[in-house]
Amino acid sequence: MNRKKHFRFILPVGVLLLAGVAWAGSPQILLSPGSEPSTASFAAINKVFTGDWQQYGQLFTSLQGGLFNRIFLLVLTIVPVVFLLHYIIIGAKSFSHAGTPIKFFGILTRFLHWLAALSFSLLVITGLMVVFGKFLGGGALIMSGRSVHLIAAIVFCLSAAGLFLIWLKDMLPMPHDILWLFIMGGYLSKKKKPIPAGKFNAGQKMWFWLATIGGGVMAWSGYNLYSFAAPTDQLRQMAILHNFLAAGLVAFFIVHLYMSLFAIKGSLTSMLTGYKSQEEVAILHSRYKI
Amino acid sequence: MARMKFLCDVERCIDCNGCVVACKEGNQVPVGINRRRVITIDEGKPGEKSISVACMHCSDAPCIAVCPVDAIYQREDGIVLVNKKTCIGCGYCFMACPFGAPQFPSGKVFGARGAMDKCTFCAGGPEETFSDEEKRLYGQNRIAEGKVPLCAAMCATKALMAGDANVVADTYRKRVFARGSGANAWGWDKAYGKK
Repeated sequence: MNRKKHFRFILPVGVLLLAGVAWAGSPQILLSPGSEPSTASFAAINKVFTGDWQQYGQLFTSLQGGLFNRIFLLVLTIVPVVFLLHYIIIGAKSFSHAGTPIKFFGILTRFLHWLAALSFSLLVITGLMVVFGKFLGGGALIMSGRSVHLIAAIVFCLSAAGLFLIWLKDMLPMPHDILWLFIMGGYLSKKKKPIPAGKFNAGQKMWFWLATIGGGVMAWSGYNLYSFAAPTDQLRQMAILHNFLAAGLVAFFIVHLYMSLFAIKGSLTSMLTGYKSQEEVAILHSRYKI
Repeated sequence: MARMKFLCDVERCIDCNGCVVACKEGNQVPVGINRRRVITIDEGKPGEKSISVACMHCSDAPCIAVCPVDAIYQREDGIVLVNKKTCIGCGYCFMACPFGAPQFPSGKVFGARGAMDKCTFCAGGPEETFSDEEKRLYGQNRIAEGKVPLCAAMCATKALMAGDANVVADTYRKRVFARGSGANAWGWDKAYGKK
């Protein structure tokens, strides 16, 4: 009689105890040393050892392994071809030299622009040397390219900072910039009608902001990549950012080269002498008040 | 062709770092670079485990995939090696490696990193075998001599095994049969009366 009574008491308590143990997981006190399977320790070691790689390591490896090269190759082939077609179909715009030339760029501006242009070109060339290193044989040539990339980056940052301060006011977005975008600055037609733009048009503004802010981001990520200053997983993110932004900058750089060297006759001269012709300003920068 | 692998028996590793010292000394690895290191988890607590890790010589090595100058290559026996003369020290391999195996010496020019260095499985490098150049750049070439890497050779408890994958797996299997694993290893069940 007693046994049955005890049994009715012990069984639920026993079940509750087991349930409690199961619910609590495996409290340490119930374990003897080495009671887990040895593969469990490999899983624990893995977390300490490779944990971060699960975040961006895989993404970085697949992007750098297969995508970046191709993006750069596309940019370097398609963008020039598109503008070659533009030159063939629409051609350059030229303006008469009649009237007093209008001062656009002072001596400091021009000096800083050409310093930035030289350093930026070196950055692009040495950067592409790293991207396509295997086709150039790697080794000491590319390694010295990295050092040139560093020096050029410092020179660019200083000159771009100067240009940023000089041009900031004129590069602020204006309502008429939207009108400019709608007609793509009039570059899709051979006609010469007054274009809605101030001292700088929307296209120039886009390039300005991309090159200065984008250049700053490149410098910051580049610094971290060069010196390995950030934690590893952040370095991976920065490498991805640096590559994507670089592709964008190279594409826009080619556009800038085309526009300033080929599409608008006299624009190179204006950056050398500082003066633009009356007609050019009246047409391309019709809202510019001298 | 034999596929070379490392296997560190975590039940035997005692965190003596003999493998680390053997590698550094035998290959004259410069200060600041550690080709091999020992990782310990749960230090001081029940379930403390140590493992000796270096380059894993992966089958689909991410370092090979990301190298922009194709400086890293894989031999037929699976050993992954770097050509230090081609390497530009960009560091992509370090970012791609889940194990942090690639290491870089501090550079001479503007603080740029030098060429990448990592565990070579004591198989030297692309230079001519047993040449002075190979020894200076990469360390010993014990695989060509028919010996196991220094770390596995010097392991105090023979926790770290390196060599032909089949032989290593066989040895490990024999060990597990002999000693048991987990709760049954080395007779814990007899010591504490628990399974």
